Amino acid sequence: MRRFLDGLYTLSGALAGIFIVAITLVILAQILSRWVGFIIPSTDDFSGFFLAASSFLGLAYTLKKGGHIRVNLAIQRLSSGQRHYQELLVLAVGSGLAGLMSWHLGYMVYESWVFEDVSVGYLPVPLWIPQSSMFIGMLIFNIALVDELLRVLGGEKPCYQNHEDELNLEEV
Amino acid sequence: MDPLLIAGILTVALFVLLAAGLWVSLTLMLLGLLTMIMLDNSAYGLIFATTTWGASSSWALTALPLFIWMGEILFRTRLSKDLFEGLTPWLGKFPGQLLHVNILSCGIFAAVSGSSAATAATIGRMTLPELKQRGYDTRMAIGTLAGSGTLGLLIPPSIILIVYGVAAEVSVARLFMAGAVPGLLLVCLFMGYTALWAKLNPQYAPQNTQHYSWADKFKAIRSLLPVLGLIVFVLGSIYTGLTTPSEAAAFGVAGALFISSVTGALSKKSFNESLMGAVKTSCMIALILAGAAFLTISMGFLGLPRMLAEMITDLQLSPYMLLVYLTVLFVILGCFLDGISVVVLTTSIVLPMVQQAGIDLLWFGIYIVLVVEMSQITPPVGFNLFVIQALTGKNILYIARAALPFFMLIMLAVVLITLFPSIVTALPELMVN
Repeated sequence: MRRFLDGLYTLSGALAGIFIVAITLVILAQILSRWVGFIIPSTDDFSGFFLAASSFLGLAYTLKKGGHIRVNLAIQRLSSGQRHYQELLVLAVGSGLAGLMSWHLGYMVYESWVFEDVSVGYLPVPLWIPQSSMFIGMLIFNIALVDELLRVLGGEKPCYQNHEDELNLEEV
Repeated sequence: MDPLLIAGILTVALFVLLAAGLWVSLTLMLLGLLTMIMLDNSAYGLIFATTTWGASSSWALTALPLFIWMGEILFRTRLSKDLFEGLTPWLGKFPGQLLHVNILSCGIFAAVSGSSAATAATIGRMTLPELKQRGYDTRMAIGTLAGSGTLGLLIPPSIILIVYGVAAEVSVARLFMAGAVPGLLLVCLFMGYTALWAKLNPQYAPQNTQHYSWADKFKAIRSLLPVLGLIVFVLGSIYTGLTTPSEAAAFGVAGALFISSVTGALSKKSFNESLMGAVKTSCMIALILAGAAFLTISMGFLGLPRMLAEMITDLQLSPYMLLVYLTVLFVILGCFLDGISVVVLTTSIVLPMVQQAGIDLLWFGIYIVLVVEMSQITPPVGFNLFVIQALTGKNILYIARAALPFFMLIMLAVVLITLFPSIVTALPELMVN
């Protein structure tokens, strides 16, 4: 189970990276084709779809690596006992919220499928296809939050906490 | 429920949730959700889903992960070392010498990497020991580093300007044009102050006796030319209207990969690290933007931004007074929030008020980024100060005092663009015509 979950986060993170590469390639192809007087249809739509896929599929990976920012000023002053309950609290709130969001994103995908919504661009793409990447990404993010919640309930530190100190130097 | 009561509850909830360590993106979403529930809006789920889809699949936003990736690639080349070695011979005769290398290296590195904390850390790690060894005043060395580390927020291609442009629906290309002159102004202010200080305190700024011939100078700068060329190409193609920011960013990625492969920095490992680094940063920002979009819609239902805008009219508040209040608010917010969160929170609530006061949204974008830069080095709690503290091990008050002159210089720049708005607007107007 542990290996499956960690594999899931890594895989979805890698997919997020591949979608960034895909955005680059689509945009480069669009420019090159414009120079030679040829138009690839709906590149704007596709780069937008890839962006949504990349942004959401990478959420769980980003969480595990401590990439999502939050205010550390107050909580780093807490004792380790208080900190345990603080992490439980934010993880419980986060899991609940992500659950609600996954549900509504899933419902939107379902509706797009039932009503056969298509994109308005030159190439009509059934919207449920790109939208489902967002739903799946949110769902994996939700799983990762619950996973962290269980880890903290078991008395361990959450994964992201180990990365937050190094983050202060390297990111933002 | 009364809208004012809801607004009060939301303000308290904002601070409690943030202080409790809930992630910024989830805090924004939860606030939006609370607003909808208190307004008895039962369609919040549908509104959330469609808003998130719209905000996350926006074509203008594709520039964001690409510029971040470009920075991540160049970050892993020899760039910081090349900057130091390439710029030193050119500044040999200028009072303050190596301190200017600090400022210019930070300016260029920040423009490319788009991250102020990473800039201060990377450049500082190299220049601080060098400056100390040659007998420069440590406080001034730290001050120039703290101040110029913030330059990356403004100098295009700037990530935070893309975020503002998408959130406030202002053209990112025009924002990039508008940021150029104020960015140069800041560099000039920093360098002018440093030169003046070096003239007045010659004992703290040793004269370098080494003479550099023109041949030395050109040899030194040669390794910098590819990156400088890339920046000029990326910005130039946006400024001339040849490409959109997203297209320029895609070129930037291709160029960065090319430079990194020619200099031998590109390996499978560094490629993967740069890509996953870009995933981490852009996912973080994308979720914040999605949360902010939902919060903005909820605020629209609540009518809070409209009420604030009407308040401006009722109070007959002049734009200048409004800006003074906003500056204080942003500096306080910036003490514990990062720049991007400050910008998205602001665009959700404050923009109608700003428009009502007759302030140009393009100008306001540059103004807010300058104020956010300032808040990064607000004594004694700015974010960059902590980075430099971690780097040098000095007391935070010592670092805050070192950075204070640069805090004042950024404030001076804010005053200057307020008195002379054409510093910001002239270049975009020129380019569009």
